[in-house]
Amino acid sequence: MNSSPAAATGQNQELGHQEPPFSSTPVEELLRLVAKAARAHQLYLPNNPIYRGAIDSLRAGFVALWKETDEVTLVIAETEIQWYGSPVTKETSKSTDNLAWLFFKDGVRELTIAQGFEENEVVVFLEMIQRARKANADEDDLVTMLWEADFTYLKYRYVDVLADGSGDALNDGRDVAPVTPEQVQEAARQPVEPARTASTIVDMADFDATLYFLDDSEIDYLQAEIAREYKQDLRVKVASSLLDIFEAQADAKVREEVLANLQTAMVYLLTAGQYRGASRILREAALAAERATALIPDHKDQLARLADRLSTPEVLSQLIQTLDATSEPPSREELGDLFDQLRPSALSTICQWIGRIRSEQIRQPLATAAGRLAALHTNELIRLIQDSDREISDEAIRLSGIVKAQAAVPSLGRIVNDPDASRRLAIVQALSEIGSAGAMQALERVLEDADRDVRLTAARALTAKAHRPAFPRFDAIVKGRALREADPTEKMVFFEGFGAMCGDAGVAHLNSLLNGRSFLGRREDPEIRACAAIALGRVGTPKAVEALTKSSGDADVIVRNAVGRALRGSPSASSSS
Amino acid sequence: MTNTELTEVGHAGPDSSSDAVVRRAGRQLIFVFYGALRAIKLYPVENAAVEKALSELTNQSRELLSSQGELEIRMAGEFIFINQTRLRLALDNFGSFSHLLALFRGSGVGSVTVAKGVTSKDWLIFLSLLQHGGDDPSDRLDEVASKLESAGVTSFLLAPPTDSGADREQDKERAKRTYAESVTATRDLMESVRMGGSPNIKKIKRVVQGIVDQILNDETSLVGLTTIRDYDEYTFTHSVNVCIFAVALGKRLGLSKLQLYDLGMAALFHDIGKSRVPQNLLTKTTGLTDDEWPLIAAHPWLGVLALFQVRGAQELPYRAMIVAHEHHMKLDLTGYPRPIRERQLSVFSKIVAIADAFDAATSRRSYQSVPFTPAEVMNELKNNPRRGMDPVIVKAFINLTGVYPVGTLVVLDTFELGVVHAVNPLQEMLSRPIVRIISDSMGNIMHPGTLVDLADRTPDGVFARTIIKTDNPDRYGIRIGDYFV
Repeated sequence: MNSSPAAATGQNQELGHQEPPFSSTPVEELLRLVAKAARAHQLYLPNNPIYRGAIDSLRAGFVALWKETDEVTLVIAETEIQWYGSPVTKETSKSTDNLAWLFFKDGVRELTIAQGFEENEVVVFLEMIQRARKANADEDDLVTMLWEADFTYLKYRYVDVLADGSGDALNDGRDVAPVTPEQVQEAARQPVEPARTASTIVDMADFDATLYFLDDSEIDYLQAEIAREYKQDLRVKVASSLLDIFEAQADAKVREEVLANLQTAMVYLLTAGQYRGASRILREAALAAERATALIPDHKDQLARLADRLSTPEVLSQLIQTLDATSEPPSREELGDLFDQLRPSALSTICQWIGRIRSEQIRQPLATAAGRLAALHTNELIRLIQDSDREISDEAIRLSGIVKAQAAVPSLGRIVNDPDASRRLAIVQALSEIGSAGAMQALERVLEDADRDVRLTAARALTAKAHRPAFPRFDAIVKGRALREADPTEKMVFFEGFGAMCGDAGVAHLNSLLNGRSFLGRREDPEIRACAAIALGRVGTPKAVEALTKSSGDADVIVRNAVGRALRGSPSASSSS
Repeated sequence: MTNTELTEVGHAGPDSSSDAVVRRAGRQLIFVFYGALRAIKLYPVENAAVEKALSELTNQSRELLSSQGELEIRMAGEFIFINQTRLRLALDNFGSFSHLLALFRGSGVGSVTVAKGVTSKDWLIFLSLLQHGGDDPSDRLDEVASKLESAGVTSFLLAPPTDSGADREQDKERAKRTYAESVTATRDLMESVRMGGSPNIKKIKRVVQGIVDQILNDETSLVGLTTIRDYDEYTFTHSVNVCIFAVALGKRLGLSKLQLYDLGMAALFHDIGKSRVPQNLLTKTTGLTDDEWPLIAAHPWLGVLALFQVRGAQELPYRAMIVAHEHHMKLDLTGYPRPIRERQLSVFSKIVAIADAFDAATSRRSYQSVPFTPAEVMNELKNNPRRGMDPVIVKAFINLTGVYPVGTLVVLDTFELGVVHAVNPLQEMLSRPIVRIISDSMGNIMHPGTLVDLADRTPDGVFARTIIKTDNPDRYGIRIGDYFV
C-alpha cells in the first residue's frame, strides 16, 4: 500500500502521541539483543556457541515481548529507533554499526514485526543487516533486500530515496481530429472494411472461450519450461551468445568488446564454480577462432589467450586452492574437462601445487592433466626439471618418470649426483621408469651412491632390464668387501643383479660362495650363501641348477629355503623337473 | 519527490507450520469447492458425482474447522484468503482461483464464514445460489443471504467485499505513479547507455519491484495504462508496457514473486540494444533501406553488449542478456539474429516476444502511423504460425488479455462505442470483457463513461450487449489512453 510522505509522517506522529500500552523495557531489550545478534552473525559461524547463544537470547527477547503484544511497530529516525514516540535505542554515530542509521539511510522509516518472525525470518533478517553493512554504493540497498526477502512477519514502510520525481504526466502526446456525433454514429453503423486497422468484424469462434483454456498437457509443458528456465546455466548461454556475436560480426570494435566481455564472463564462471561451463567456453572459443571470417591476428590471439589466462600461475593457483578448500568439489569428470583446456604454461603451477593438494578428487584429474601436458610438451618439462624452485623441479622429475619422457634423461643425468639424497632417489626412480638405454646408463653411475635407497633403486632397475653394460659394476660390488657389511636386502638386490647379467661365466663364483669352504673348512656366512643361491636361480642355466642342487639339503634353514626358492624359479630346474 | 511503500503482508497465524497447514488444506478446499460447483452445474443434484463432490467439500471444510477452529473464505483483489492466510496462486490452480474470484465478485460476496456443523446439503444450497447469476452484484449478496435463511441454512455468514471505491481510486493512482516512474527510470537508463555511461540499475530494480507488486495486487490498473502508448517516448513506454504484459502473463503462468521480478527485469531490458542504434533510424518515418535494416536488426545482440555496461547487480544480468538476444528469434530459431551455436529458447524470451509483438503492433510509431487494433494483433499471433510464437504461451496470453484486449475500441450491437477496460474475470466469458461505454447509440462521446460487464444478461436471459466489431479509435476522434489516465 502506497501512501504519501505526509501521510506517513502523520501516521508516525499519531503513533507518537499515543500512550504506550506497556513499558518500553521489553522493546529496548529486544533491540539490544538484535544489535548483539547482528554482531554475532557478523563475527561467528552458525555452529559457534557464541552465535547460537546470541540467537537464542534474541528469540527469548521476542518471547518476552509477545507476552505483551502480537506485533510491534518501530519508527526509524536518523540515529534512533522509536516506539510510541520515545527512543528505544539511540546511538549518535552515523555509521552502519548504528542500526537506526543503517535503515534510515536507505529510506526505511518503519518496521512492524509480528509474532512468528523470531522463528526463521529473524536469521534472514540478520543476514540482511550484515549484507547491508558491507554493501557498497552500487549494490542493493535495504529496501530491495527487504522486498526480495518477502517476509511474512515483517512489514516495512520506506521513503524512496532513489526516486527523483513522480515521473512525467501520462498522455500519448498527440492530437486527434474532432469528430461530430453524426460521424461517430455513421462510422459505428458502417459495415466492416477489409483493410487492416479499419473495422474488424468479430469472429464467432472467439466466443468459444474454452479454446483459450490451457489443458493438462499444456500446463505440464509450461511447468517444464519454467523448471528448465531455472535449471539452465545462464552464464554459459550468455557466453554462447557472445561467441555467436563474435563470429557473426566482422566489425573489429564489436569483436574487441565481445572479447573483453568474454573475459569477464570467464572470470564470473570460474568464481561461480561453473567449471563445465568454463571449459565449454574455452572449447567454443577455439572453434570461433577457426571459423570466424576476417579475423585479425590480434583477435585470434585474444581468443587463444582466454585459455592461456586460465593457465597463468596467478589464476591457476587460485583455482587449485579454491578447489582444494571447497567442501563439495566438482566431479572428476567436470574437472577433467576444465583441466583439458590447460596450456603447457600451466605445468609449472601444477607442479608447484599438486603435492599440497589434500583432496584426491582434485589431485587425480590434475595429475592426469599434468601427465598429458608433460607428455606433449617435453621441452617445458625439461625446463621445469631445471627450475630453481625445488617443489616444481621435484614434481617435474617425478612427472618425467610417469610419462617415460626419454627426452628428459640428459637433464636427469646431469643432476643425478645432486647432494640431496631424496632428490637423487626421485631422479633414480624417474630414470628407472623411463627405462631407456640412456636412463640405464645414468643409473649405472649411482650403483655405489652414498644413499642405500638410491643404490637399491638403481640396482633393481638395472636388474629388471638385465642391463648387461652394467655387469662390471655389479661384479665389482658383489666381489667387493663393502657389500658384506650391507643389510640382507641390499646384498640380495646386488646378487640378483649379478645373477641376471653374469650368465654361466658367473656360476663358478656363485657356486664357490654357496657350496665352497674356506681353508679352515668353514662355509661362507649363510646370508651370502642365500644371496648366491638366489643369484644362481636368476642365472637359471643347467650349470647353475647343478650348483644349487648341491645345497638343496643344506643344514642351514636360510640357505635351504633360498635354494628351494631359486630352484623353483629357475627355468632349467622347471624344465628338468 | 519521494513516496512511501508498505509491503503486503499475509499475516499468518501464530506459527509458520500452522500457516503451511492452512495453505495446503486451503488449496485443497478451493479445489474441491470448484469441483463441487462444476458437478452441480453439469449434473442433476441426485447424481453420484454431485454427492461425491459435496461430500469432499464438506469433509475438507470440516477438517479445516477442526484444525483451525474457524473457517473464513475471503476474496481480496485477486487473492483468496483462508482465515488469515493468503493462498498461493500457481499454474495448477489458477483456473479454480479465477472461477471462484469471479463467482464471488459476481455475487457481491466478499467473504463467507463457515460454521462448524456445515453439511453437504448446506453446501448444495449455497453453491446453487451462488451460481444463479443475472442481478446486480450489490443486490445479490442480500438475495443469497435471505434465500439461505429461508431455506433454513445457517452454516454460512456472508459479508460484502471490503475494498471500497476509495481503495480502487488509490490503486489507480498508485498504478499511474508506478507507470510514470518506470518510464522515467527506463529513459534515464537507456539514455545513459546511449551516452556510453555505466548506468546503475538500482533504480530499475525498484521500478520492476513496483510493477510486480502492482500486478500482484491490482493487475487491471497497470495493464490499462499500457494503452497510453506515448508516441514521443515510444522506446521507453514500450519497454515498460512489455514489462507489464510479461509480468502479468507470468503471474497467470504461476511464477513466484521473485520469478516475476526476474522476468520483469528481463522484459524491461529487452530493447536496451536500441540505445546503441542511431537515433535517426529509430525515429525514421519512411521505410528502412537495405543498409539501414541490419542496424535496426542488430539491437538484440547489441542489447547483450549493452547489459555488460550496467552496474549495481549482484552479478551480471544474464537472464536479461538472454532475453535481449532471443526476443526476435522464432521457435524454429529463424528470425534474428540467427544463432550459430545450438540454442533452446528461454521461456522468458518467448513470453517477452509475445508481449513485445503485441505492444509494438498496437502502438503508433515513427514508421507505423496507424497501429493495428489489439484484436487484429491477437488474431495474427494466434493464427499465423509464421510469427514463430509459442502457441501455448499465446493461448495463455489471450487468457490474460481476453479475446478483446484492454484498450480495444469495440462497437456494440446497441451501436454504443466501448473501450475494453478489463478482461472478464469469468473464464468462460473471455470474449465478453468489462467495457467502458464511451458513446451512446447517437454517437455522443462521453467521458469518463460507464463500466459495463458484457456478460450481463437482460431479465429474459439474453446478453444485454455484444461486440459486433472492433475499430480504429482515430476514426472516432478518440484517444484510448484518456480513458485509463
